[in-house]
Amino acid sequence: MKPSLLRRALVSAMAGGLASCQRNQPASFAGTSPVAVLRAKNYQQDLTATILEGIRLCGLVVKDKRVLLKPNLVEFDASTAINTDVGLVAAALEAFRSLGAASVVIAEGPGHRRDTLGLADEAGYWKGIRDFEGHFVDLNRDDVSPVKNFLTESQFFLPNTALGADLIVSMPKMKTHHWAGATLAMKNFFGLVPGAVYGWPKNTLHYLGIENSIVALNRQFRRTFAIVDGIVGMEGNGPIQGTAKDVGLLVFGQDLVAVDSTCCRIMGIDPAKVGYLQQAMDLGAVDSQQIHQRGENPIVVRNDFALIPEFASFRLNPGEKRG
Amino acid sequence: MPEDYLGPRLEALRKNQNPDGGWAYFPGKRSWLEPTAYALLALHSEADSPAWQNGWRLLRSWQREDGAWQPNGHIPEAHWSTALAITLHCVHRVHDDAFRKGVSWLLASSGAESRLFVRLLSMVGVKTTGHDPSFRGWPWRPEATAWIEPTAHTLVALKRAAPLVKDSELTRRIVLGEGMILRRRCSDGGWNYGSKAALGIDLPSYPETTALALLGLQGNREADLTSALQHAVHLWQDSRSRWARAWLAISLRAFGTDLPTESPEQPVARDLILNALEVLAAPDGGFRHFRPEGILS
Repeated sequence: MKPSLLRRALVSAMAGGLASCQRNQPASFAGTSPVAVLRAKNYQQDLTATILEGIRLCGLVVKDKRVLLKPNLVEFDASTAINTDVGLVAAALEAFRSLGAASVVIAEGPGHRRDTLGLADEAGYWKGIRDFEGHFVDLNRDDVSPVKNFLTESQFFLPNTALGADLIVSMPKMKTHHWAGATLAMKNFFGLVPGAVYGWPKNTLHYLGIENSIVALNRQFRRTFAIVDGIVGMEGNGPIQGTAKDVGLLVFGQDLVAVDSTCCRIMGIDPAKVGYLQQAMDLGAVDSQQIHQRGENPIVVRNDFALIPEFASFRLNPGEKRG
Repeated sequence: MPEDYLGPRLEALRKNQNPDGGWAYFPGKRSWLEPTAYALLALHSEADSPAWQNGWRLLRSWQREDGAWQPNGHIPEAHWSTALAITLHCVHRVHDDAFRKGVSWLLASSGAESRLFVRLLSMVGVKTTGHDPSFRGWPWRPEATAWIEPTAHTLVALKRAAPLVKDSELTRRIVLGEGMILRRRCSDGGWNYGSKAALGIDLPSYPETTALALLGLQGNREADLTSALQHAVHLWQDSRSRWARAWLAISLRAFGTDLPTESPEQPVARDLILNALEVLAAPDGGFRHFRPEGILS
């Protein structure tokens, strides 16, 4: 076993072991879920129209809902693609408003950086979104309320803005992840965990087990929609140190398990090998037979992301590229 | 520092004090220990006022039986911000039983990577993290691993408390905590949030963590911090983040570095911690609250 894998195994055994022992093999999801894959060449095109089309294809009802847009703000590095692009977030704000949402806020609790507003500035959000501060909630420092029995924690504190939302729109970047394999709509919910309680980088979630925590957060927040920023994604040693990858796609859906499974197929990753998706099989559709694909066919638009050696075995069978 | 820079910031802090005496992260929200502690430090020249005393009483009421402070009145958990409460007690010269219990709790706390089991694994050559677990730092929350920021805040608190608490464990933990910070220094001369590398690749340093790491290392006579201080000056010059610039100014001024004053045209922030930090970062301001005078003298 490689040293890094041994280290991971030990850390996992020590930290997340108890939670892992307690989890049950989930029953499989019985329904079907629509997921839309739409082409978007760049951030300069009319993304609002594309988002409205994605929402329509997935049958999402927005009217009178309190909507929380949850982008992924991690770090800023002008040379790569770490954060959800501001153009996409601005377009989503416009789209959800035009559909009659009762309110639309942008909210994020970055995992590493304490200066959320400074990070948003570096990522262009202040310039790209009118009255950004008036629309934005720093989830790391929001008021919080407890929920019961979150993994091994008898009570766990979550931001009131997220708990009170009628719809949380997960807007991640399409990226590989050096611990979880991929970071997409479900993992993006780590940003709902308040740093003011759990610190930075949400170290408590690592101790509860990254995969366990991804699934537990998605069990907690069930009124969801996803808009995955795959216009430019990140491959290799993501989610921070990878390299930009042009994909030219946006992926939409209410079932975040189905969205992430679809994104994995587009990235050339076998979703059946991604641990958190295995654990979430009762929450949504992993099996492609249970996903009603709309827009582009993920097999046709497959665009393999480079994987670090630890995840080489996650590569989707090349034969599936041809469909 | 011109009054037209400090005045509006101090006024914003006074105006946004909650009825319970504390401060929230943002106006209109609940009181938390972290913004309350910074606001009380920023307003310490008014410590005799009823408003300040209300905040002080509220903060004191959040101490738990075990000596730790909880992050606010609604979350009954021990928290890293105990270090801020101890620093505030030192600044306010209150060294009673509550203070001593808080210091004892800090001395008993350390990152999960320093547990006996992990250290035993390390002794037989099995590394569960990339760090030497014998250099014990402090976590954000019990049961988690040590990180630069909570370790730096705790070092400031313990160094301020050192002349008042005669305990060899305190001296030992300061040495170990400094060792933890020094061993996690990035190749560019500053500090990242927790590690200097991930998966064998160097990580960049960040301005706010570099500032805090330097504050935690004040008084260390063994490490040469010259290049780290130079790096911090460059970060201060280059950073657009007001939060980062405020921490860097606090840290650099604590080390005696002369910096130009911030522009008075900078608007007052909604972020109440930022308001307090900008007051504390002023040239004639409370950055001295973070100086461990007992150790430096």
